[in-house]
Amino acid sequence: MIQFQFITAFLLIVLGIYAFLAKRNLIKLILALDIIDSGIHLLLISLGYRIELNEVPTAPIYTGYETLKSPMVGPLPQALVLTSIVIGVCVLSLAIALTINAYRHYGTLDVRALRRLRG
Amino acid sequence: MTCRPRCGSDMGLIVKTSARAIIPLIGIFGAYIVMHGHLTPGGGFQGGATIAGAGILFLVSFGLDEMKKHYNKSLYSALEGIGGLVFLGAAMLGMGVAFFYNILWHNGPFFNGKPGTLLSAGFLPIMNLAVGLKVFTGLISALTAIALYRRWKS
Amino acid sequence: MKRTLAYLSLFFILGVLLYIANPNYGLVFGPGGKEWLSLRYTDNYYITHGLKEVGGMNIVTDIVFDYRGYDTIGEATVLFTAIAGAIALLRPWRGDES
Repeated sequence: MIQFQFITAFLLIVLGIYAFLAKRNLIKLILALDIIDSGIHLLLISLGYRIELNEVPTAPIYTGYETLKSPMVGPLPQALVLTSIVIGVCVLSLAIALTINAYRHYGTLDVRALRRLRG
Repeated sequence: MTCRPRCGSDMGLIVKTSARAIIPLIGIFGAYIVMHGHLTPGGGFQGGATIAGAGILFLVSFGLDEMKKHYNKSLYSALEGIGGLVFLGAAMLGMGVAFFYNILWHNGPFFNGKPGTLLSAGFLPIMNLAVGLKVFTGLISALTAIALYRRWKS
Repeated sequence: MKRTLAYLSLFFILGVLLYIANPNYGLVFGPGGKEWLSLRYTDNYYITHGLKEVGGMNIVTDIVFDYRGYDTIGEATVLFTAIAGAIALLRPWRGDES
C-alpha cells in the first residue's frame, strides 16, 4: 500500500531545496530553511509508529494507563525531534538578525546585489 | 523607513482589554506545563515557549513604549545565565559515581517519592524549571531586541 | 546551463527518495508484533525500564533529561550562543548616530 507519510515528508524536503535554489529575495530563502526543517521532523516522527492487530497504540506516558492497556509508540524519535526544533528556532533567529543588518547596509533585499565584498 | 502611527503606540481599546484578560491565564497554563513535566506531556522547552507567548502578546498589543518601562535588560540577561548554571549544577550532583547520575532518586533525601506524585523522579523537576526559565528569558530578550532596532532614543 | 543541471539533479534526488518510500525494498511504516521487538529494541528497553530506573511517568522527558542528557546540554549551549549572537548583532554600532 502507498505510504503517504514518507511521500509527504520527501516532497516537503525537495520543495524546500527548490525554493532555496530558485528564489532571489532573502526572506524567501529564510522561509525555505524552515520548510526543510518541517519536512525532516515529519520524516523522523513517522518512523516511530507501531501497528498491532485489534489495538490502537497510544502515547508513551504512564499517567492514566491502568484503564487503557494499549501498546505504546516508540518515544526515542520524539525526544530527538524536540532538540531539533529548538535548534531550528536558533538558526532562524540568527538569520533574521543578519538579514536586518544587510538591508540596512545595502538598501535592497536582492541576493545578487550582495555579491561583491566591500570594505 | 517611515513610521506609520502603529510603531511606538498601542493597538486600540478592544485589543488591550482582551490582552489584559488573557495574559495571566497563559502564564498560569505555561507554569503548569513546566512544573508537571515528569507526569504529563510537556517539560521545560514547551512550557518556556508558552510563557514567551504571553510576553509577546504584551509587546504586540501594548506597544513599545509600555514595554520599555517594564523591561530590564541586565535582569533578563542574568536570569538566563542563572538558568544555565542551575542546569549544569544539577547534573554535577552525582559526580562521585558518574557525570549524569541520578543520585537524588536512588538514595537522596528529597526527591524520591512514589512515582506519580509531584516530588519524584530525581533531578527532573529542577532541570525542567531551569530550562523553562532559560528559554523564556532568551526568547523575550531576542524579540525585544528586534523591536528596539534603531529606536533606542525615541 | 548551470540552472538546468541543478534542476535535473533535484529531479534525480526526488526519484531516489520516492524509490525508497516503497515498502517492499525500503522504509517500512509501522512494524508490529515480532518485527517491533527485533527492529526497535531500544524503544522497547526505554518503555519497559524507564519507570523503574528514573522514576518519571513521562518516558519522553525521561529520555531527554536522563538517558540522553548530553544532547540537552549541547542544545542549551546552542540556544544560549544563538540568542547572544542575535542580540549582539542588533546593537548600535560605532559610526551610527542617527
